[in-house]
Order: sequence, then C-alpha cells, then structure tokens
Amino acid sequence: MNRLAQLWRTSTVRLTALFMLLFVVFAILLLTFIAYQSSIQIQRQQTADIDREVELLRRVDSRQGIRGIVFAVARLASQPGPGIYYLGDNAGLQIAGNVASFPINVLQTEGVFSFNYDREGAFDGETVPDDDEDPPQGYAVVRSVVLDSGLRLIVGRDVVERRGLTAIVFQAFVLGVGGILVLSTIAGVVTSRRVLRRIDAINATSAKIMSGNLSERIPLTKRNDEFDVLATSLNAMLDRIEALMQGLKEVTDNVAHDLKTPLTRLRNRAEAALRESQPGEAQRAALETTISESDKLIKTFNALLMIARAEAGAPSGAFADIDLSTVAEDVAELYGPVAEEQGIALDTRIEPGVTLRANRELIGQALVNLIDNALKYYEPEEGKTGRIVVGMRTQKGRVLIEVSDNGPGIPAEDRGRVVERFVRLEKSRTEPGSGLGLSLVAAVARLHRGELRIEDNAPGVRAVIDLPAS
Amino acid sequence: MKILLIEDDREAASYLIQALDEAGHVTHHASDGETGYAMASGMDYDVLIIDRMLPRRDGLSIIESLRAENDKTPVLILSALGEVDDRVTGLRAGGDDYLVKPYAFTELLARIEVLARRSNPGEAATSYDVGDLKLDRLSRKVERAGETILLQPREFRLLEYLMKNAGKVVTRTMLLENVWDYHFDPQTNVIDVHMSRLRSKVDRGFANPLLHTIRGAGYMIRE
Repeated sequence: MNRLAQLWRTSTVRLTALFMLLFVVFAILLLTFIAYQSSIQIQRQQTADIDREVELLRRVDSRQGIRGIVFAVARLASQPGPGIYYLGDNAGLQIAGNVASFPINVLQTEGVFSFNYDREGAFDGETVPDDDEDPPQGYAVVRSVVLDSGLRLIVGRDVVERRGLTAIVFQAFVLGVGGILVLSTIAGVVTSRRVLRRIDAINATSAKIMSGNLSERIPLTKRNDEFDVLATSLNAMLDRIEALMQGLKEVTDNVAHDLKTPLTRLRNRAEAALRESQPGEAQRAALETTISESDKLIKTFNALLMIARAEAGAPSGAFADIDLSTVAEDVAELYGPVAEEQGIALDTRIEPGVTLRANRELIGQALVNLIDNALKYYEPEEGKTGRIVVGMRTQKGRVLIEVSDNGPGIPAEDRGRVVERFVRLEKSRTEPGSGLGLSLVAAVARLHRGELRIEDNAPGVRAVIDLPAS
Repeated sequence: MKILLIEDDREAASYLIQALDEAGHVTHHASDGETGYAMASGMDYDVLIIDRMLPRRDGLSIIESLRAENDKTPVLILSALGEVDDRVTGLRAGGDDYLVKPYAFTELLARIEVLARRSNPGEAATSYDVGDLKLDRLSRKVERAGETILLQPREFRLLEYLMKNAGKVVTRTMLLENVWDYHFDPQTNVIDVHMSRLRSKVDRGFANPLLHTIRGAGYMIRE
C-alpha cells in the first residue's frame, strides 16, 4: 500500500493519470459528436428514403390504379428490412402492409409521425427471423398520406437501426477508452516503477554518503539515458566534493601540525621573557623575536589560505588577460639582484608576447616561489657558476613556464613528493621556509587548469608550470 | 594629523589610538558604521581608517557614500580579506589604500602618512628635489649635484616613489606594491637588494646620504 502511495506520488504516474483523464474527456466529446451527427444523418437519410418511396408509390397509384398500388405495396412490405408499409381504405381497413396496427391519428391525418409499435406484428413471418432477444416493441417513423385513389398510404422505417448505431458507438467508446485506460495505467506504472528504481538507487547512495561514506557513487547503467547523465554529473560533483573535503582535512591537519609548533615556541619564548628578573635588553630581544616569529606564522597562514583558495578556486574576477611574458620578465628582474648577490646568474629565456587569461598575482607568486626555491637550495661548488634560467614558451597549445637551475637537484623518487604540502626533504629541514612554496605553485597551476612538473635538469631541477594556452 | 578610526574591535582600536597618539596624531574613534559615517561626514579629517566589516553599516558603503558626496578625504581600508578580488573591490569603492589584517603598526603608520600627503596639492609635480638630488619625471633624468645618474627603468620608479614621499617612511610592502605592482610577500630580502643598488648609485661618493634605512619599518629619502 505504501509502495502504491509512493507510486501515486511519482510525477510519471500523475502525468499518466492526467493524460488519461484528458483522453477520456476528449473521447467522450468526440464520440458524442460522432453519434449525434450520425443519428441526424441517418434520420435525414431515412426521411429522404420515406419521401422518395411515397412519391414513387403516389406515381404508381396515379398511373396504375389500385391494382398497381396494392401490388407494389405488398411487394415492398414483403421485403426484409426496416421498412414499414401500410395501405388501407378510408374506412381504416388494411389492404396491404406489414404492420398490424397503427395509432388512430396516423390512420386519419396526413403527416409525419413517430411512435412505438408492436414489432412482432410487423416483422412476423418470413421477413424477420424470429429472435427471442429482440425487444417486442419497435419504434417507427412514418409518413401518412392519402393517395389520389383515396387510399391511405403509410411508409415508414423502424428506427432500431439508428439505435443500433448509437449502441455501436457506445460500445466502441467503452472498448476504446477502457483499453486505453488499462494500457496507459500499465505503461504509467511500469515507467514510474523504473523511474522509482533509479531514484531509489540515487537515494540509497546519498543516504550512504550522508552517513559519512563520501566515496560512494551512484551506479550507472549501460542505457546511457537521462538518469545516467544525471548520475554521471552527480558523481562528478561528488568527486569534486570529496577532493575538496580531502583538501580541507589536509589543511586542518597541517594547520594543526605546522602552526601549533611555532605557536608553542612563541608562547614559551614570551613566558621565558616574563621570567626575566629585570626588564632590559634580553626582554627586548625576546619581544623582537616574538614579533618576527609571529610574522613568520602569518606568512605560513597566508600561504595556507592562498593554497586553499586556489585549490577551491573557480576562476574568479581576478582573472584577466595578462601578458605572461611581462610578468615573468618583471619577476626575473625583481630577483636578478638577489641572485647576483649570491653569485648566481639569473637568465631569462622568455618568448615575448605570451598572453593568457590568468591571475597575475598568483602566477607572479608562483614564479617567485620557484625562483626562491632555486636560490635557497643552491649549493656553491668549486669551479661551477650557479645559473637559474626563467623560461617561457608556447608549445602545441600549451604555455610552459619554466624555472631551471644547475643546483644539487632532487632525487627522482622525491620529485612527486616535493609538491605536497609541508614536505621538506630531509637535508633542507634546516633551511628557513614553511614547506608550502611548491604546493602553492602546484595549486596555482591547477587553478589555471594546468599542472606543475618537477623534472631533472641534469644537473639541477627544472620546474615546469604547464598551462593550457586558452 | 587628525584621523578618524572606524573599527568595531575595541581592543585593536584602543591599541591603534594609543600608538597613533605616540606618533603625534589625534585620533577619533567610532565603533560602528553609522556613527562612523556621521562623524566622517560631519567633521574634517586628514585620513579615515575604515574597517571593512562593521556592525550597522559596512565599511565599503561608508566610503561609497562619502565619495558620492564628493568627500575626497583619503581612506585606508583595513580588512581580514586579502585576496586580490577583495582588494580590487575595496579600491573600486573609493578606498585609497588597502591593508590586510594582521598588519604591523609601522606599516599602517607609513601608509596613512603617505595618504595624508597625497590629498595635498602638488601631487602632479613634474620634478622632485631632495637636497642636491633632482628627478625630472618628464625627461626621466636624475641628477645629483649637477652630475647625471644613470638608472634602470625600475630603479627610476623606485627613486621616483621614494622622492614623491620624501620625508616619509615607505615600507618594503609599499615599495613592492607601488613599484612592482605585486601584493604578496617576497620571501627573501629582494627589496633590500634593490635598495642597496639604488643607494650605491645615488649616495656613493657623497658625504651626506639621502637614502635612509628606518629600522623595523622601511626606507626614507630625506636631506
């Protein structure tokens, strides 16, 4: 019953019911119209037939006299069919005909009449096979005239035929409407059950997801119908949500881990400063370190937020058509003097006029991070000049932004890992930095629908931000 | 300098008022948007410091109303929202500068002092003079004591910005924003290296240096 109620609530069933109702109303209207029109048509036809026969018999009467008319009427009356004939004298005595009796006024006045009559009398004998089921009463439409010879002629039709037609129309209606009702109900129920089954599958999946299992997906069928299209897009949405949730979880984990440690350090230092017996240089130094530590914390926090936003990122209003080449030139120019101070040559190999719809700040920040890394992990060696190349080129619909160095490089097995948040390879633990630099670059690349690749520059590292050109 | 601070965080506000007072500025305080707007339109201030998210009336709408009334008082927007988008909407609403929380007081002080100066006439000067240093914005020539100094385009813009704000502290972030048009933190001492190069071109060989490092704050050019 519950299932039935559920079925009734589905839009398919309701739509089917509505269409069924509309169809029935329409069928009733149509068939009524047909029945009415046909009955009028038949009536006209019958009246015309009656009039024609009357005229014919009138002519027979006037040309051939009583003998002729009596013969003609008797012949007509003996034919099977709905015809009603009567020929009588003016005294009311029947000479020929197939109906036993008429209402009295029909026998006395001229005109058109209709009345119930005793059919058994009319169709008796050889004209109509005796049928028990036939109603004994008939309904007649007749025209009564007085012929030139003074005889009374009555010609009519039993209208049982007309009624028969109505009955046929009604039967057709019942059969047709009934059939359609049955078929459409079946069709409606079947479709709705199918729809319900698919929706139940989606509901079951969402229930599982709501109960915490984000990796559930809506099953697909091979039909590739609209439900599969819906399920595919819902699944894609779920993938995205899962990725975001994963990202959020990582961010919280990392915030907990990497912000708590420096915060604890900060707190300890402030406590130590408080314990100093007399205020003075030591306390001042402690306060200054506290401020610079909190600045570092803020930087880490900002980097985390930036990554989170870049990763959550739909391209935002900050996206504009920018000249990437100029951005790269600017950043290289910004870092040139710093590199030079460390004895590293910073060269550019930038294809001019590369434009892209991008976030200038983020691309700039990504380049800064890459150059910064190259500078930070550079190890001076005897007889080798440090060299960083900032490159930009277009290649087969891609824009490649590269920062390569000839430094110590990254072992092949670690290249994928360095992009992750907070990963700092063992030997770089002592360097300052949050370990977020490369993961921000990777997030920026993903925001621009591209990727960050860390390649071997033999020797050194080549970081490639690979973006689609349009 | 007379300053109006519209900030709903009372602790932050009282710290700021005290610090601005120590720096020699008179600060009025409003703790919600409506009061702040009434005070800003009723009195004459040199600079408005407006928090972006305020009770009763949002900071940006205050600025929009003031600008609609043709009030050109310089506005520094304070906000916890630091994305480029947020900065752009803030400046588009009529703000003159945008500072993301948390900030160093020296940064805020440097910015409002530069802002207040900006409202004074003479901003569109074609040349700047500091002592015997002369920068011509039209011919893009720099001279010191009659000797031409050759500068790279970026060095020229760096010096131009410093001289435009001669006698005021400019922070590293302000330089990065105004000379390089970037709003992120450079991880290393990039600005310092650029400054030391500029200094070697401008001050080397002269007895009295013009470029000064202000410890814990930034740089300043003065006689």
